[in-house]
Amino acid sequence: MKNYKDLPNDSGSNIVGQVTAQANRVKERLSSVKYTIAVMSGKGGVGKSAVTANVATALSLQGYSVGVVDADLNGPTIAKMMGVRDSTLEYTSTGVKPATTTLGIKVISMDLLLSEDDAPVLWNAHSQKDAFTWRSTMEVSALREFIGDTEWEELDYLLLDLPPGSERLANVVELIPSLSGVVVVTIPSDVSQLIVKKSVTMARDVLSVPIIGVVENMTYYVCHHCGEREPLFSNEDSVESTFQFTLLGRIPFDPRLSQCNDSGIPYIEQFPNNPASEAIVETAQNIQNYFNTQS
Amino acid sequence: MKFLCIECETSMKFKDVTRPEQGSITAVFECPDCFTEIAMFLNPSETQMLKSMDLKLGGTHEAAQPMQMLRSQLLTGKEDAIPDLTTETKTGEAEGGKCPFTSVISEAYEEESVPETDGLKWTQEALERLERIPAFVRPMAKMGIESFAKDNGHTEITAEVMDQARGNFPAQF
Repeated sequence: MKNYKDLPNDSGSNIVGQVTAQANRVKERLSSVKYTIAVMSGKGGVGKSAVTANVATALSLQGYSVGVVDADLNGPTIAKMMGVRDSTLEYTSTGVKPATTTLGIKVISMDLLLSEDDAPVLWNAHSQKDAFTWRSTMEVSALREFIGDTEWEELDYLLLDLPPGSERLANVVELIPSLSGVVVVTIPSDVSQLIVKKSVTMARDVLSVPIIGVVENMTYYVCHHCGEREPLFSNEDSVESTFQFTLLGRIPFDPRLSQCNDSGIPYIEQFPNNPASEAIVETAQNIQNYFNTQS
Repeated sequence: MKFLCIECETSMKFKDVTRPEQGSITAVFECPDCFTEIAMFLNPSETQMLKSMDLKLGGTHEAAQPMQMLRSQLLTGKEDAIPDLTTETKTGEAEGGKCPFTSVISEAYEEESVPETDGLKWTQEALERLERIPAFVRPMAKMGIESFAKDNGHTEITAEVMDQARGNFPAQF
């Protein structure tokens, strides 16, 4: 009797063809994007989204065209941080026009699609029982559509703000095999670095994705009265020695950054001359340097 | 998935697929030589997996519409952000096909419509509890409760049946 390989096709569904068409759609859409960068940490609460929003703003202020994908589908924050939460998406025959910030940064986020503030992401299913078997597949499909169906047009940089979890990068690499690189965000604590190391190993050794460098967030606190710099964490190991990658920037803690996130005006726009803004600008500059060196 | 007609040693061809009923779909394949037909049943989890990947049994000749999976499968989306693809199709047809979504996605994964009550009665207490479920998950909760009731031979949905059905959907009530 014939076996699987003896039959030339899959009896008419052309599943491989359908999957290939999906992949080609993403590839075609990103053909007008110069650099696609994933911002990740593996650990939650280190400030990935705030770093993403502010680095995107810094790049935009330096004259680059920038887009941001909020890849955290279940905890989307980018639309609020970048002040586009009330935008309405416009559907055309070829794609979806993203929300656009006052600086022209293009943003796509699940937050732009959800009905209410307290609405979680729920998918249509006969039963939500056993949803763990298909929910992550649904999320990867949604992310594929975010990337492949948004009308990015010509972009210099497309930043993807990933949710916590080292496996998330693997999903992105499946969708974007040509990912330009990864920016790793951490804070100077042992707990954070313990988790972030796993994500770095996943990126570098398992997925073979170039690591652009590391951003150390909340490195120190600047006293508003005397200007003294005080460390926020007690980790003695430098981030360079822990990760052995280029340090893109050390961003000091500033409580006003959180206020800016809430107001939808990126910190770097509102306080351009503060130490944290200078560190964010330096980070954006180092990302550009990385690509200049590569080319 | 490949299917072989053992008698003819021929690859069977996809013939038809039903829309989901109780979450399950049936695909029919036929041998092009002897015309023998077989039916393949996908259970709700298998059907859901295909749906999650936005793949169609029997293939598709239509180009995917922008964010078609999201627009058709996100239950908690706001209406103006996620225009209904099927509604757009109807609008397009009415306007002589000008709508960009005239040749929209297959409705392969839309459940066969069932009568609103399908022989089930809701007690007043049960209806009041249903009303307490947030609006954006209420239709899904109602479907889950009714599905549970039918599967377990109930003809009336009471507060007790709702308690038993809790595991079928995420909403608390």
